[in-house]
Amino acid sequence: MLLFRSEEHVETWNERRGIPRGATLTLDQQWELARIWYADRMSPAWRRRTPEEAEAVFERIGLTGGFWRLTNPSG
Amino acid sequence: MTNADPFDDTVRGEVYRFFVDQCRPPVAPEIAESLGSDQASVEDALRRLADAHVLVLAPGTTSIWMANPLSSIPTAFPVDVGGRTFFGNCIWDGLGIVAMLGGTGSVRTWCPDCQERLEVVVEQGRLARGDGVVHFAVPAAHWWDDIGFN
Repeated sequence: MLLFRSEEHVETWNERRGIPRGATLTLDQQWELARIWYADRMSPAWRRRTPEEAEAVFERIGLTGGFWRLTNPSG
Repeated sequence: MTNADPFDDTVRGEVYRFFVDQCRPPVAPEIAESLGSDQASVEDALRRLADAHVLVLAPGTTSIWMANPLSSIPTAFPVDVGGRTFFGNCIWDGLGIVAMLGGTGSVRTWCPDCQERLEVVVEQGRLARGDGVVHFAVPAAHWWDDIGFN
């Protein structure tokens, strides 16, 4: 997960490396994902999320579709 | 996920406590010393935590490579929090360090395409400054196929 100056820079970097385009997030989405994902990481009560719980986090910040699926990813 | 072995939870807690305190991960003998345990038991716990994708160990060792969001090696995602510098494994983890340590700090990186310096600043839980677009190359279902690349 890398931070680029803009969508254009994502395109040129991917083209140069022959990497198919993945998914892009705004910085607001990325901060929100980081906050939800990691804020409680040092808590003794922390548990790794189930795939269903992780998908619910993605959905909460607008990350939907096959790219973000962890349950039945090919379905 | 079901609860892990309580000893594994204790080891995990000590890994994060030490890492944040010392800006580096502990090695097994240090964890054993802190917990009044023995090195073999700690190494077994570290392997179980790695198998469960809670930690990432350097290949073929019980040395901690990643205690996400923290990286034990320098990366292109230095994170400044409270006058100290940590390293994230990616931009997600860089911001995750800020979130984990109270919500105020900054992540520095470079655009992979043009190498321009970029900085994201978070203050009191809110994005205060920063521009750019985050690219995820690998679909979520395959993140752990090659966590080092990802």
